Amino acid sequence: MIRLEGVTKEFDGGVIALSDINLELREGEVVVLKGVSGSGKSTILALIAGLSKPTQGRVIVDGKEVSKLPDHFCATFRRENVGIIFQRYNLIPDLSVSDNILLPLYPANMPKEILLERLEKELKAYHIEDKKDAVVKNLSGGQQQRVAIARANVNNPKIILADEPTANLDEKLSREFIEILKELKSQKRTIIVATHDPLFFELDFVDRFITIAHGKIVDDNT
Amino acid sequence: MITPEILTITILDILFFLFGSIGFVIAVKIVLFYDASATTHRQYTLEKQSYLSATIIKFLLLFKTLSFLFFIYTLNKLSNFLPGAMCAAGVVNALKIGTPLLLLKILNLYIFAFWIVLHNEDLEYEKQPYLKVKFLFYIFAYFLLLSEIVLELNYFYLLDSSSVVDCCGSIFSTTDGSYMAYLLSLDFSYQLGAFYLLFVVMVFFYLLKNRYLFALANLLFVIVSLITLISFFGTYIYELPTHHCPFCLLQSDYNYIGYFLYLFLFLGTFNGISLGLLAFEKERQKKKYISALIFNTLYLLCVSYFPLAYYIKNGMWL
Ligand SMILES: Nc1ncnc2c1ncn2[C@@H]1O[C@H](COP(=O)(O)OP(=O)(O)O)[C@@H](O)[C@H]1O
Ligand SMILES: [Mg+2]
Repeated sequence: MIRLEGVTKEFDGGVIALSDINLELREGEVVVLKGVSGSGKSTILALIAGLSKPTQGRVIVDGKEVSKLPDHFCATFRRENVGIIFQRYNLIPDLSVSDNILLPLYPANMPKEILLERLEKELKAYHIEDKKDAVVKNLSGGQQQRVAIARANVNNPKIILADEPTANLDEKLSREFIEILKELKSQKRTIIVATHDPLFFELDFVDRFITIAHGKIVDDNT
Repeated sequence: MITPEILTITILDILFFLFGSIGFVIAVKIVLFYDASATTHRQYTLEKQSYLSATIIKFLLLFKTLSFLFFIYTLNKLSNFLPGAMCAAGVVNALKIGTPLLLLKILNLYIFAFWIVLHNEDLEYEKQPYLKVKFLFYIFAYFLLLSEIVLELNYFYLLDSSSVVDCCGSIFSTTDGSYMAYLLSLDFSYQLGAFYLLFVVMVFFYLLKNRYLFALANLLFVIVSLITLISFFGTYIYELPTHHCPFCLLQSDYNYIGYFLYLFLFLGTFNGISLGLLAFEKERQKKKYISALIFNTLYLLCVSYFPLAYYIKNGMWL
């Protein structure tokens, strides 16, 4: 499903964020990427999402060589295959909940009825129906997190990437988020969570824990 | 000779040269080292550079193409300063290199516009199947660009405002024994027959969906159109049987009709010819066929209007 072959990522200025990573993730797997801050977790997610290109090696997602995809195709690739939940949510604070959720779909020129149908489904799934016209900046952290999940999910992606999803949540909301992950797993999605939050380290529904340190995989247990 | 227009053209040419040369250096690197299957550091760097430089080249050639209009405008303007010139024809013919320059510019118009079309087609595919071809083609185009710049600057700076030049009446006369005179002395009914027949043949090739023959018909259509415009249609635009100039019709006296005619002819035949050079994706191919037909038809209707209107008004031909 997702394969990294000899992937190295060096940033301008010489920081080597990843060095010679080889990794294969199966469809429907839930994977937790562990590692201290700066170890290279976010970089791996960005490469899988086609948000950045490796310096060397290749990234293949669902048979497609994402690392070779011209940038203007990467956006389409993400829209069709990937949902991303960022640490800081990356929501647009001045837009409504509905607009934020539908944002990934706007470039696809879908008919309005389908958009509304998808929106209703997500609003319902994450219990934010009553907030659909609220402006995002007025929501609490937990509510914003659910909007972010709804947005990541609205394109019905095969792959969900979450980068430090609980960094800004208290323990109760973090556990709520973990329940949502479990639900997404039951929908057969491939899920990769990059986190250093210990709450994730004991979960029984996680298929794999991969530890990253200094841009290398140091531990991979199933 | 220096006028504000010539100064503008000079500055533009320097910019075209600079950006064109940057593109050229990267194009050479890509043609030599680009290997779509490689996953090395160098390859990823080239992939990044290829997009950036192709974008630079695209805008460069786009502006270059548009600057053709400014060139024509400048020629028209200069005709006011050169003694004896009535229109751009005299200005072009003031120097030996004038006509080669104009012909090269017309050729480059097609070449540069085609590069842009090739680039756009390339970007439509994930694998960028024309990537190497387009940079190779750019290397070729770059030398044409250089030749044009050199010729153009030479031309404008050699132009002398005190030299007396011919007016279009003598350049496009039927009697001075030149190549043009020979052409104009021929019976134009054959040329007209060829013009309309070629158009019918073009439509026929469209129905056959044979893109090579369609392109060939378009190529011939440019040539025959220009010949018939000079030998026949022009005289009806001017309503003067001896006025054969293809430049005067760019002037305000004739409502700038020339700009429309040449634009239609260019858009029609450019789309038509590019169909033969590149296997476009089906939908885009269809669009190209349609634009070629629409613009060529517009051209044909426009030029045909003048003799018909004259005949209806006066009950006789010129
Ligand atoms: N855009 C960037 N430019 C330069 N260095 C970067 C950039 N993004 C990340 N890095 C560096 O790459 C390394 C890995 O970063 P990251 O993948 O964000 O780690 P993590 O997500 O595990 O905290 C760090 O040293 C970081 O400073
Ligand atoms: Mg990170």
